[in-house]
Amino acid sequence: MKSKTRTVVAGGKSVEILEAGKGPPVLYLHGVYDVHSLQGEMFAFHEALAESFTVIAPAHPGCGESTGIGEISNIEDLAFHYLDLLDALDIRSATIAGFCLGGWIATEMAVRNPERIGRMALIAPAGLQEPGASVGDFFMYSQNRDGGIMRELRELLFADADGPIANGIVPDGRVSVSNEVRRYKSLTITGRVGWEPPYLHDRKLRGRLRRITAPTMLVWGDTDRMIPIANGRAYSENIPQASLRIVKGGGHSVQIEKPDEVLAHVVPFLKSGKDS
Amino acid sequence: MSTTSEPNRAQLFSWHFMPWPYLDETFEKKYESGWITIPNSEFDPEKARGLYQEYLDELVHADEMGYDGVVLNEHHQNIYGLMPAPNLLAAALTPRMKNGKIVVLGNLVPLHFRPLRVAEEYAMLDCMSGGKMVCGFAPGGGHEAFSYSYSMPLARERFWEGIDLIVQAWTKPGPTEFYGKHYQMRYVNPWPQPLQRPHPPIWVPGSNSIETMYEVAKRGFCYFVSTRSKLAGVKRSTLRFEEIVGEVGQTFHPNKMGLLLSVYVGETDEIARRESEEAVFYFTRYCLKGHLRRAGRRLTMAPGGLTPKSYQSYLENSDVTSKLLGDAENWKDIDEMGSIIVGSPETVRQKLWEFVNDAHIGNLLIQFHIGNLSKEKTLKSQKLFAETVLPKLRADSQTLFEKKYPVKTAAAATATSKKPKSV
Repeated sequence: MKSKTRTVVAGGKSVEILEAGKGPPVLYLHGVYDVHSLQGEMFAFHEALAESFTVIAPAHPGCGESTGIGEISNIEDLAFHYLDLLDALDIRSATIAGFCLGGWIATEMAVRNPERIGRMALIAPAGLQEPGASVGDFFMYSQNRDGGIMRELRELLFADADGPIANGIVPDGRVSVSNEVRRYKSLTITGRVGWEPPYLHDRKLRGRLRRITAPTMLVWGDTDRMIPIANGRAYSENIPQASLRIVKGGGHSVQIEKPDEVLAHVVPFLKSGKDS
Repeated sequence: MSTTSEPNRAQLFSWHFMPWPYLDETFEKKYESGWITIPNSEFDPEKARGLYQEYLDELVHADEMGYDGVVLNEHHQNIYGLMPAPNLLAAALTPRMKNGKIVVLGNLVPLHFRPLRVAEEYAMLDCMSGGKMVCGFAPGGGHEAFSYSYSMPLARERFWEGIDLIVQAWTKPGPTEFYGKHYQMRYVNPWPQPLQRPHPPIWVPGSNSIETMYEVAKRGFCYFVSTRSKLAGVKRSTLRFEEIVGEVGQTFHPNKMGLLLSVYVGETDEIARRESEEAVFYFTRYCLKGHLRRAGRRLTMAPGGLTPKSYQSYLENSDVTSKLLGDAENWKDIDEMGSIIVGSPETVRQKLWEFVNDAHIGNLLIQFHIGNLSKEKTLKSQKLFAETVLPKLRADSQTLFEKKYPVKTAAAATATSKKPKSV
């Protein structure tokens, strides 16, 4: 599936969008380590999604060629930024897929303007912090140890920290300069919205989740060490129409490590127009 | 930062980090870092009894020996420097200092709820010390961001905005208002005000960030090179800063730059090494573990502290497998790295002179107390330096500066202009 890049202006900010496929649009909001933030191209998961949908994957402000990062200093700023993007794309009732940081942004949009969000599939979204289920310190582990060891980050992101997928994406030492800078840009926007409080959550969000009207599916790997699954249970208990799908043996980046299992949940749900 | 009342020569300071000096091999085996995560159950308050007094005595000794001043700095939750609140130590020094300046390098602006507090504390210290303060401001790096759970990318913005608030608090007759992006205040009107007018000299540390150099240069502050590099690396930063000072329309003078070095001076090279060996490698192996040593290093930088452009330039100019200061295993390594200078008075003088002459640095900030060096040895080295190295460096730099960087005397400047211009 060939993706193409285009630029849209939303709320005065330039947004780089990676787009692929045909069919009904799905806005894909990327995670801290994901498309745009690990590499410039889509992963197999996004390409498979693009067989059923037009996947619209914008880069967050400061990522890729997207601008306007100076105007973003908390998660609400990002939520309004993407509500601006819905206006710019003339999407009245959005179907959103979001991973990690992207999933958190989607929920922050949905509690503010529930009528603009038609359906959400959220993969291991950040945003909550249940007692004893703190988000892992990816800011610390994004830096190598002892001159190059990145194992702790692989442990946070992948179920199999020593496997070929994890080692291919987050090897010891450095990746290419362009991909290192891509990762740094992603950590920079994430650091602006998700460092305080540590990390990646909004203390007010839990109480606001009741406002969400969109049918919502949560997909979580049961061995997610970055965002423990207790947060997934809290999401599914507090969003009125929510279901939680657990991928056995899945880590945080479950859509990268086990794309087929995730697609099996997400595609029918997004297609059906009703909870699968 | 050079003013017309100051001598036109290099200035030499004694810098104390106040480390925890009671570590042994078990630290090396048990802990991956001396920062943030090292359990504070290892801290023994009984052993700390008298330690601050001993360290302060070493700084007072530097003042008695005729140094231009002493330097303190701020670090949190670590064994490298037990100075989370340097202003407390500066206050303790004020009645004991005869002539020297007190440099605090610096206060960490972003970790204050309102940076006005920093303006107030420095103003107090300036009054208490009779106008001896040099006020440093630092944004903090990874250690500080992780220590205080503050956002590294936002810290940079807060840092410069906080400094602008502090300078306003010192220079605009109050009450004034301040409405920034991060700080908003209805009443900016601190009592007291600093004794030095319009405000005490301001120093800001930087590693290699070009953005920092521009911000420092355009405000006329002093740039302190915080990288522990050898002469060639230091020159890359300092000569770039010198260019930038010119670009923003200011006049360069070496007193606009400072550099941290560690020194142990003995009667001969051999004596110096023998006397300092344990302390030097205590410093590199323990104090720098989790900082300027590959082992445990990941806290030093936090993501978002640089712009993507500066980060890219850092990637292109650095090598994760290269040795850092803390990786030094022997004297050969120490000599090659160039930041810890151990030797006879003549050896030390020559190496320091290169930083003045080649890298155009006018403020040498020297760590005499290294690692777990005893008080006796610290004072011996500090005294020998003051008697042998310091006079010659002062005289040589004065000859150099008067030729290359002439400065009007205070009297001459007052005669020609009502507002003496800082050069």
